[in-house]
Amino acid sequence: MTIGMTSLRYVRGFIDEVVTHGPGLKSLVINIDKLPVTVPGQFIMLWVPGYEEIPLSPSYHANGVIRLTIRERGPTTRKIHSMDVGEPVFLRGPYGTGFDLSRRARYLLVGGGYGAAPIIFAGHVLHKKGFESMYIEGVKSREYGLYTEEAGKLGMESMLVTEDGSSGYKGLVTEYVEKNIDGYDIVLGCGPEPMLNRLIEICLEHGVECQVSMERYIKCGVGICGSCILEGTGLLVCRDGPVFNARDLLEAGYEVGVDD
Amino acid sequence: MTRLSTKISSLTLVNPLVLASGILGNDGLLLARAAKAGFGAVTTKSMTLEPREGYDTPIIAFVESGLLNAVGLSNPGYRALPDILKEAREGGAPVIVSIAASTPGEFHIIASYAEEHGADAVELNLSCPHVKGHGLQIGQDPGYTYEIVKTVSSSVDIPVFIKVGITDSLMETVSRSLDAGADAIVAINTLKAMAIDVYAKKPILSNKYGGLSGPAIHPVATRVVYEIYREYSPPIIGVGGVMTWIDAVEFILAGASAVGIGTAVAFKGLSTAGEILQGIEKYLDSEGFSSIEDIIGYVHRR
Ligand SMILES: Cc1cc2nc3c(=O)[nH]c(=O)nc-3n(C[C@H](O)[C@H](O)[C@H](O)COP(=O)(O)OP(=O)(O)OC[C@H]3O[C@@H](n4cnc5c(N)ncnc54)[C@H](O)[C@@H]3O)c2cc1C
Ligand SMILES: Cc1cc2nc3c(=O)[nH]c(=O)nc-3n(C[C@H](O)[C@H](O)[C@H](O)COP(=O)(O)O)c2cc1C
Ligand code: FES
Repeated sequence: MTIGMTSLRYVRGFIDEVVTHGPGLKSLVINIDKLPVTVPGQFIMLWVPGYEEIPLSPSYHANGVIRLTIRERGPTTRKIHSMDVGEPVFLRGPYGTGFDLSRRARYLLVGGGYGAAPIIFAGHVLHKKGFESMYIEGVKSREYGLYTEEAGKLGMESMLVTEDGSSGYKGLVTEYVEKNIDGYDIVLGCGPEPMLNRLIEICLEHGVECQVSMERYIKCGVGICGSCILEGTGLLVCRDGPVFNARDLLEAGYEVGVDD
Repeated sequence: MTRLSTKISSLTLVNPLVLASGILGNDGLLLARAAKAGFGAVTTKSMTLEPREGYDTPIIAFVESGLLNAVGLSNPGYRALPDILKEAREGGAPVIVSIAASTPGEFHIIASYAEEHGADAVELNLSCPHVKGHGLQIGQDPGYTYEIVKTVSSSVDIPVFIKVGITDSLMETVSRSLDAGADAIVAINTLKAMAIDVYAKKPILSNKYGGLSGPAIHPVATRVVYEIYREYSPPIIGVGGVMTWIDAVEFILAGASAVGIGTAVAFKGLSTAGEILQGIEKYLDSEGFSSIEDIIGYVHRR
């Protein structure tokens, strides 16, 4: 894979809308013409001058508008959460692998927390293609919910899974997946690593293909600094991923079931 | 020796391509992967006495024909070498351990430890342009360089390479290094540089300064390889902006016995090694040479 020259320089965009979803969760809708279009699952690097630049997987991108859904975590995301309509941000990318949405198949889309971002984006693309899919989102409690309504509006079957039962199905998102996986051909997952590990196991048990988006500390984003190595596999999250086919991960020596 | 193989002092490489220091070199499995992708030797990230986090992001900035980096010598510290070396050696290619330190004593400790744990050579980084107390700040002092190289070369049996950068005293540093027992010269490191985003109206790198690499520095590196070969003809690993087989052959004609590759990995991935090797073979065929050895320093012949 060669990285196109257009993906290397920063492109300036302006915040067009700030959406507050719930505690510590916001989306920025950004007008940005010159950024090459992102495939769901690929990531961009977002830089707010004076702060660090961080990797984010867009939750939507088309026609010069990109949406980033961001959980407040440390100094950089705190700064981003304090920004307003009209302020500039700097993006480079997109980088890495996206979900393979090319096959006419039945897709089960599974997002956990802010991991729902690239998952709902995949939902938009699959919807446009007219492929069948179901959207499942797992959160602690209903106020953290992000995109089940949006999926519903697209006409997709959708389900919010809450750990405390405050809305939708009560339990862990992976429990819901296990009960409803029959009839699907491909599972797409993004979220906390224990959730992804469990998804991989469930897919193996049911003979269903599984693509997961992994997270590591991304610094360069282009495969030279070595910061984003998946320990024990020799794979780079920024270049070989972030989206991996579970089979390739396991072949490279990735161990499911060893939680952080 | 096959037609693509080359020698650097006592090391024999199956081909002349070396993964340059700092590119994926913090992890043994990645180094092994580079070796399997076709690199004839691989170099670790420069290792320091203590672990280093490195600088905040942005740590890279792309510019016309190259990139700037200010990784900040982030590395797990030299005590991680046994694990890195064990995994890296599975790749089957010689492993060069790069060292960044501030005093002869520190260089000595890390070099001996690297040798003990299976390094095939050590490379003394006297040329990192963006970390205080390291690299260029040492490399521009030929007297101090002599002392460091002497200390290391008299304490290890494996070959000692010296990595140089652009300073006014470059040729003197090379000459004093060779006097002190250096087995090969690696030239060049990145050039100290800055990039400003005109819309952000700020330097892009958090460290403000970074090292420029890539096509932009290739002609400078070619000049340096040419001059070192003309003056001293030591084994040289030419590094700087090699993107295609043409750039690699250029270095070899100028006097390099091997060719380091860094930035091309960011632009093209590890598979770039295979493509460059194919190109070199075709060139040897089309120009009627039987091996790499036949063209090392060819431009100096009359
Ligand atoms: C491919 C990818 C896609 C991502 N997509 C999203 C997204 O859509 N929405 C979202 O909210 N978050 C996403 N993240 C995570 C996000 O990048 C981090 O939460 C963010 O960098 C934290 O920065 P901070 O300065 O606020 O926090 P810090 O205080 O700097 O760090 C808090 C924690 O965040 C992690 N972190 C910090 N910097 C990075 C970095 N450069 N790369 C990865 N992790 C880091 C570390 O684990 C750290 O302990 C993604 C991460 C990756 C690797
Ligand atoms: C991201 C990055 C990190 C680097 N880290 C080191 C290092 O730790 N030690 C060193 O001697 N050189 C380091 N270098 C310099 C390279 O080894 C090489 O000399 C330089 O990049 C020129 O080659 P290139 O144009 O092929 O990249 C680094 C270069 C890059 C791009
Ligand atoms: S973030 Fe630098 S190699 Fe992946």
